[in-house]
Amino acid sequence: MLTRRTALTLPFALTATPAWAAGNPLAFVLNSAAGSVSIIDMQTRQVVRTAPTYREPSHWALTRNRSQLLICDAGGNALFFFDPVTGAPLGHRRIADPYQIGFTPNNKYFAVNALRLDFVDIYDATTLALVKRFKAGLWPSHLDFSPDSRWSFHSMQNSNTLVSLDLTTLTKRWSVKVGETPAGVLWLNGKVLVCIMGARGFVEVDPLNGRITRRVVTGDGAHNIFLDTRRNILYVSNRGPGQTGLTALDPETFEILHNYLIPGGPDDIGIDPSGHIWVCLRYAESVAVLNPDTGAYSTIPVGRSPHGIFLSTLLRQKGLITAERI
Amino acid sequence: MSLDRFFSNIAGYMDHYLVLPVLYHFHWMAWDDLAFDWCLICVYGLFAVFVTYAVCLPLEAWKPVEKWPDQKAVLVDVFYTFLNRVGVVPIVTFVLFYQVQTWTTGFVVERGFIPPTLDSLIPGLLGHPLLTFLLYALILDFADYWRHRLSHSFRWWYALHSLHHAQRQMSFWSDDRNHLIDDTISFLWFFIIGLIIGIPPLQFPLLLMGLKFIESLSHANIRLSFGPLEWLTVSPRFHRFHHGLRAAGRNSCNYASVFPVWDIIFRTADFRDEYLPTGDAHAPEALATGNYVQQQVTGLKLFWRALGKSWISLGMGRAA
Repeated sequence: MLTRRTALTLPFALTATPAWAAGNPLAFVLNSAAGSVSIIDMQTRQVVRTAPTYREPSHWALTRNRSQLLICDAGGNALFFFDPVTGAPLGHRRIADPYQIGFTPNNKYFAVNALRLDFVDIYDATTLALVKRFKAGLWPSHLDFSPDSRWSFHSMQNSNTLVSLDLTTLTKRWSVKVGETPAGVLWLNGKVLVCIMGARGFVEVDPLNGRITRRVVTGDGAHNIFLDTRRNILYVSNRGPGQTGLTALDPETFEILHNYLIPGGPDDIGIDPSGHIWVCLRYAESVAVLNPDTGAYSTIPVGRSPHGIFLSTLLRQKGLITAERI
Repeated sequence: MSLDRFFSNIAGYMDHYLVLPVLYHFHWMAWDDLAFDWCLICVYGLFAVFVTYAVCLPLEAWKPVEKWPDQKAVLVDVFYTFLNRVGVVPIVTFVLFYQVQTWTTGFVVERGFIPPTLDSLIPGLLGHPLLTFLLYALILDFADYWRHRLSHSFRWWYALHSLHHAQRQMSFWSDDRNHLIDDTISFLWFFIIGLIIGIPPLQFPLLLMGLKFIESLSHANIRLSFGPLEWLTVSPRFHRFHHGLRAAGRNSCNYASVFPVWDIIFRTADFRDEYLPTGDAHAPEALATGNYVQQQVTGLKLFWRALGKSWISLGMGRAA
């Protein structure tokens, strides 16, 4: 197990490329109900390795220097560290209920939404020492930050609220009702977008005061929201009931560009350099690789309940990389 | 398609077409993630019942210990099985365990600690799922040995447990026939163990089903022992001796559910090659042949009476 001080400063020499790493880009698929991470060779589209976690991996974050991929294991109360290039495991560290995580853009803080325990924990990004714990609502689900790192935004899945914290004073700014079962959160163009699973779409929230400025319908069970930064397209995963799939939108106007029907409970997505969208299918133990031009997709079998996905091709991308900016 | 993926797909359909519409309608979408787990529990439970039925029924027909003129008394056991493995009970247990475990974890975390799990306590277990599962299985079976043995030691507890022993037509369906209070005590018992070693990994549903299969098989009306491997897992012969008319009550033997090693260590094992009639001669007839409600009510009355007697005995300074 890693010590507090060495958590984010492991020497690279310890992680020499093992035989199974062929040098191809890798997809990391976090299997929530299997307690494992499927590592897929993105070129052959084969699972090359399955790495164990304790219980329930869900989401990921990349350190700002891009040397380590952090994978949450909420049920196992642990963070698992991987080399994002080779897929080599770098150890793990015990931490309370990390469900959704993120580094602030200025790399000062590391925020953890503890969904089961109803905490929002703010850690020092370098040492992972707990700085402050907030009890801001029930079932903290997803999170994002303002680009200047002043504010964080957290959806509270069972309080139906969006909560904003001031990270300069470490105080709560506001908490507003945004709709039934809010989930995915994304800062975009000076606003905060929040998926509302009980209301068939997402809302646009003014980060200054929490006022809802727009409501956009995408589909039943709108769960998470992502920005394809290369092609400037917004995607919303709709998990049902009813028709499930992905909705592609113009990020400025929110005009719907396309609806892709994908059964199997689509959740988090990744987009590879060729523009193919890798979609975790929670209820089908597989990842769909979707061609957005044709709507056709093939599937790759992974572990039970695939939840979050990280594509190592993201590492070539300039600018901020988060689970929602892909 | 692997068996596991096949089950996930069925659970996915069940979730999508049956459960999610209900959650959506009643504004309970916050439970969306867990709903899939509920469906998986039901699907695996149903499959376990199917496999047990498919294996044990021919075996019971081939080498039965007893032949019964009719099997009316078995029907209620079938109901117990579906209730416990597919229906409400596993889901309620799952939700209760989840909630209580969440509260206690939160309580501990707020005081600066992170509750351990067995695989986080023992270095080297991570990445060895079979070994991890075996350790969990051994610990839980050890706990179950003592729960079972104690349920035969206290008058009030055996009053509840006698419902399980009253069955004279013991078959592979009989494993789950228990009083609700007895089931609740078992739940609390395993909850405490779960808190100490962490919740056993739910990522091994097929292995868990394997253990439940051994428990069902051990109740089957089959003339079958495992010969030289009798010490390894509980056989129908080994467990039938526990259910034998001579063994029912407070001086029994062969308490283990899966691994007889506990009976060997604690000197309660009896490997005699005999197939005794089952039942509890002292149990009211309603416990043996009554319907579900009659069995539960009778069990409750017995429990209440025994509790009173134990209380009086305790007041008089005698062991209860």
